[in-house]
Amino acid sequence: MTIKEKGYSHWDGEFLARKFPWWPITRYGIKLTFQRKFFKFIFPMSLLPAIFYLAGIYVSERLEDFPFLRGETIQFLQIGPNYFKTYFTQGFMLFIMLMIVIFCGASLISDDLKHNSLQLYFSRPLKKKDYFLGKSAVIVFFLFIITLIPGLVFFIMKLIFSGSLKFFLSYPWLPLSIIGYSFIVTGFFSFYTLFLSSLSKNRRLVAILIFGVYFLSDIVYLIFRREFRSHYVSLVSLRSNLQQVGAHIFGQKAPYDVSWIFSFLVLLGICVVAGFVLKSKVKGVEIVK
Amino acid sequence: MNQENTRRFSFFLNSVKNVYSIFLSMGRKAKKTKVFFLFSFLPVVIAFIIKFNQIFSGRGKIQGIYIFSNLIVVFYLQFLILILALFFGTSVASEETEGQTLTYLTTRPIPKSAIVLGKYSAYTTLVILMMSVGVLLSFFILNVDNLGNFSLYKILLRDVIVLGLGIICYTAFFTFIGTFLKKSILVGLVFSFGWENVIQYFPGSTQRFSIIHYLKSLLPAPRTGRFSFLMFRLEPSPTGTAIVMLFLITGIFLGLACLLFSQKEYILED
Amino acid sequence: MKPIVETKNLSKWYGNVLGLSDVSLQIEPGIIGILGPNGAGKSTFLKLITGQIKPNIGNVRVKGQPIRNNYHLFSIMGFCPERDFFYEEMTGWKFITSLLKLHHFSQSEVEIRAQKALEIVELVEDKDRVIRSYSRGMRQRLKFAQAIAHDPEIMVLDEPLSGLDPLGRRKIIHLIKSYKGEGRTIIVSSHVLPEIEAMTKRIILIHQGKIFAQGDIHYIRDLIDTHPHIISIKCSDARQLASKFIQQDYVLKVHFSSSNDSLLIETNNRDKLFSLLPSVSIENKIDVDEITSPDDNLQAVFDYLVGK
Repeated sequence: MTIKEKGYSHWDGEFLARKFPWWPITRYGIKLTFQRKFFKFIFPMSLLPAIFYLAGIYVSERLEDFPFLRGETIQFLQIGPNYFKTYFTQGFMLFIMLMIVIFCGASLISDDLKHNSLQLYFSRPLKKKDYFLGKSAVIVFFLFIITLIPGLVFFIMKLIFSGSLKFFLSYPWLPLSIIGYSFIVTGFFSFYTLFLSSLSKNRRLVAILIFGVYFLSDIVYLIFRREFRSHYVSLVSLRSNLQQVGAHIFGQKAPYDVSWIFSFLVLLGICVVAGFVLKSKVKGVEIVK
Repeated sequence: MNQENTRRFSFFLNSVKNVYSIFLSMGRKAKKTKVFFLFSFLPVVIAFIIKFNQIFSGRGKIQGIYIFSNLIVVFYLQFLILILALFFGTSVASEETEGQTLTYLTTRPIPKSAIVLGKYSAYTTLVILMMSVGVLLSFFILNVDNLGNFSLYKILLRDVIVLGLGIICYTAFFTFIGTFLKKSILVGLVFSFGWENVIQYFPGSTQRFSIIHYLKSLLPAPRTGRFSFLMFRLEPSPTGTAIVMLFLITGIFLGLACLLFSQKEYILED
Repeated sequence: MKPIVETKNLSKWYGNVLGLSDVSLQIEPGIIGILGPNGAGKSTFLKLITGQIKPNIGNVRVKGQPIRNNYHLFSIMGFCPERDFFYEEMTGWKFITSLLKLHHFSQSEVEIRAQKALEIVELVEDKDRVIRSYSRGMRQRLKFAQAIAHDPEIMVLDEPLSGLDPLGRRKIIHLIKSYKGEGRTIIVSSHVLPEIEAMTKRIILIHQGKIFAQGDIHYIRDLIDTHPHIISIKCSDARQLASKFIQQDYVLKVHFSSSNDSLLIETNNRDKLFSLLPSVSIENKIDVDEITSPDDNLQAVFDYLVGK
């Protein structure tokens, strides 16, 4: 009985690349996040500020029906770029974003590292770029729900409630500000979260790092602020930098007496460093020493 | 009967000791410990920068011990010990279930409560050591020009004891949370940076439902002005009561953690 | 003989999923094989008899004592889990010595026992490497080492041979068999019949959470040998090959593929068929490319037994 030799033969077919090879990663990441019990509770809560601000827009058009509103409240309800800036850059909103990225992003890469599944990804027609895109799109999806979408809804609803295009003609650039800042804040949190997620196989450690580094930067700023009496120390705080850039994009007075360019460069620098680290950490093959 | 009890107790202590030594040695070399050691070393860098600035800017009016006390409250008490206790406390049970290594411990001739107590003691020791290094170095840097003043060492000792008590108490609480809940970190974060902060702003007895209240009761009332908002509305408990309460909270949550860990069925998932 | 492990009406559910149903058993000293296809309930049974999970109904007694929370029993029990999880940053040596410490041995005894266990599984040379750098086979051997290091009287081994190369497998089988003579009780699970067959003649068949059969392995073996088997043969001339086999009384049916390059033979004596195949193919110059037996597995036996 002869046994025929079987060898490898080259595949001469045409490589049919998918249009969005990263999409299955994103879809699975979103599905997995929604399966978390705690998230089902936290996610609707994260939409509460948006609902509150939307109600504010409604009230602003019917102030005569709310005669008990006075002083600061009336001032707050003067809908303009400042109203949008307040929504996007207030500390509480940034805190909510942080909680959301902990839920949806902490395990994005760390779980792949833990279960050695990177090689499974890269044994498919998937480039590193697609992998990162797929993972970051999960964060982008959830953050857009609480930034970009409410921002645009506020704008549209303001136009609908006011029944004229006056608001649009006064601030034609505002939709671009909403889109621009949503992209910046979402982009920053995506890099920040994926970077920390790639540092450890331990999801709990990553969650603590996402939270801890953000607050640590704020505490260091608080301590240095009094000591140095300089606005430049605000550059060490992630929150301050996001607020500084936000204020500029919405054409408002910056909270710190520092050029917004510096804050933007700090955020950009963090993203660049994160990008380099991610590139070196995410490999198809792990060499164990 | 008495002899039998003594034998049992010494067997239990021996079990705790064995678990303690294993996890102390393992924790010492773990990557996570190195990450948190970097975290706890940050105040030293801050202290160094502040001192450097004071010397070279000629604005050395603020006493080193004053800055040190603020560092203790703002950085350690309200941030670092919470983060450390949260991670290491929840690790006692969670790392065994997440890493699926629980089987190796529960198929040994040791009580399950000894596993909890041994791991808790090992991680508490690690956290106290990590914290102490940072505290001592920042103290010496900030007070480098006043090291002959022995009254400062009293303050240092008090602060280290308060932080140590905080670590013991918080780690016990988070150990319980870790044995009780699967997603313990998020609950822990909400407790640490939500409940523990918000409750301080309530008057009357409300703030007694937090751990931070008893820790702050052991520290002197802050001067008005800088950082005073952090101690807003503190209505301190007497020192003795605060210490008793901290030990009581530790005992209750450790007891509950041991009980839960012994009785709960941990189904290790794929 | 007094049973070492005794279970009464043991039942376990994971939510709506049945893990084990109404298992009453008495296990005596010696080697006993727990056999069943994947997901049959073998691991659930072993976790229940080691007290790692609670039964919903029924109870387990080891040496007459209840197992759950009875930690003293683990001084005479060793458990090798199926799952491949470790304290990854520990070295192999540290792992074994740490777990031995929990048996309250003195430091010198810990080291002697750890050395002996690692020698048995041939991991002495690699003992100082971190576990995460171990190969699958090494990890499996390390898991086995921790289960035997304290020289237990009762060993519960969940799929101890999975991931081992043939040589390693033979060695572990030989080792397990050697324990039999020492009066120990060894409960070993597998879904591969020949593996269990190589270790013991006493088996328990588990299927869909229930004890399906219990007793001598020959009974199961006979069932495998006599129940109709389907053999698939890929060859250069399927029809010519079939013509030679069709004359045999143990060939019950023959099916051809459309391309005449393979055939399916149903037989009730596959050993005879296999012994005839080489001579037929040589004499008739038929090239055989592939021989497979789609139902030569435990699942097929179970299906046959349950009348599917």
